[in-house]
Amino acid sequence: MRRAAGEPPPAAVNALLDHPAVQGGAAPLVVALMVAAIFARTRFAWIAILAAYATMVALTTGFAFSPLTAGRKTILVGLVAPIIGLVLDLLPRTSKTVVSAACVAAGAVSVWVFMSILHQRDGMAAVAMGVGIALFVAILVGLTLRLRGDGLRAGAVGLGLGLATGISGLLSASIGYLLAGVSIAAGSGAMLLTQVLLSRNITAGLLGTLTVGILAALFAVGSVLLAELHWYALPLLLLVPLAVMLRAPERAPLIVRAAVLVAYALVAAALPILVVWFAPHG
Amino acid sequence: MPKALAVLVLAGVPLVAAAAPDAFTIDPFHSSVLFAIDHLGLSTVHGRFDKFAGKFSLDRAAKKGEVELTIDTASVDTNDNDKGSRQRSRDEHLRSADFFNAAEFPKMTYKSTNVVFSGDNPTTIEGNLTLLGVTKPVTIKLERFKCSAATATAKERCGGDGTGKVKRSDFGMSRGIPQIGDELVLTVSFEANKD
Repeated sequence: MRRAAGEPPPAAVNALLDHPAVQGGAAPLVVALMVAAIFARTRFAWIAILAAYATMVALTTGFAFSPLTAGRKTILVGLVAPIIGLVLDLLPRTSKTVVSAACVAAGAVSVWVFMSILHQRDGMAAVAMGVGIALFVAILVGLTLRLRGDGLRAGAVGLGLGLATGISGLLSASIGYLLAGVSIAAGSGAMLLTQVLLSRNITAGLLGTLTVGILAALFAVGSVLLAELHWYALPLLLLVPLAVMLRAPERAPLIVRAAVLVAYALVAAALPILVVWFAPHG
Repeated sequence: MPKALAVLVLAGVPLVAAAAPDAFTIDPFHSSVLFAIDHLGLSTVHGRFDKFAGKFSLDRAAKKGEVELTIDTASVDTNDNDKGSRQRSRDEHLRSADFFNAAEFPKMTYKSTNVVFSGDNPTTIEGNLTLLGVTKPVTIKLERFKCSAATATAKERCGGDGTGKVKRSDFGMSRGIPQIGDELVLTVSFEANKD
């Protein structure tokens, strides 16, 4: 029976869309797969990560930006980063200078995102915290950007970082960061699946890796500052992109390479999760 | 003439003194800020804020008043702060960015814009609640307001109970709706000494 225009969706649909597994996982995965399928043969395929993240935001907090809290600034960065990445990818040559500048800018942006919390600290404590945040974000983004030339490695790092930040966020008393991290993992998983199905490596470029790197970094820092994540989980997250840089069987079928890289990412992602799990209580 | 002037001035002093509003500071040891919220449509979860400070002033003659209350959001307490073997407690979750976001917004404030009197006592407080950086009007209805007269050893003391309803989604706190209710019933029970 057709619903009239303006009539609200059935309660069952609302209940489904209210479920965290749908909000953070299923819906972003489906949307990312659709976007990836549409743009698979263009350089815009990795916009699927943005599509996944935006789907999660639309189903949870929505796109309100006032007041501009740290969480809303993170959403804004997540929407802008792919555009900046795409513009940089369109340059004739993405030099080391451009990549370094992107890392420094990511670090600076992270200080802006968490300025409302830094303001509450005294002088040197605020400076030290700001420097620490900027350094961590710049390094994680830098390591992620190194994978921009290989779509499988980029997908694996997105999957690993998304799950690591998401599960760590949940264990640190934040469902919001769980959904955010899982949506990035879902988007990255969609890109991995698309590449495997097409038997083709789709270069992630800065479009894909800048989005994954900066969002994962902001989720992790947010979980430390706004939830209960212990700070020592942050350096462990750097192991995820490092692990994905390990050698994979280059001549093996794409699906085997993907599986190996995903295994590296998941093993590395387990470390910060386990540290949070076994962290001292109280 | 100067004598008459002096008499007039002295006669006016009590009138001037009576016109000044009475200022009160809330006694946190005999006051509480409580809230109640629906959980899964099955029961009501009750909580409180352990740290707060407030003051109010009453001008009974002019039927005017002012109320100001500041609450530490990190002091939210639903009797579940010890996570034990769990990964997190409910109070930790409430302090996180999912709910009160205590790290970014350590204070929640209520400032009156109008106090409605019935006789000499206030009955309704209209004001603005600022939570998570958002300011919205909230009305508090006083179910009781009573004052005990000053004695030789004690100042005038006033107290009462008031309730107000807050829609948390209006303030951007939408996590868990509808499983966790959108409407919060805020109850403030207070006693205050005259300054």
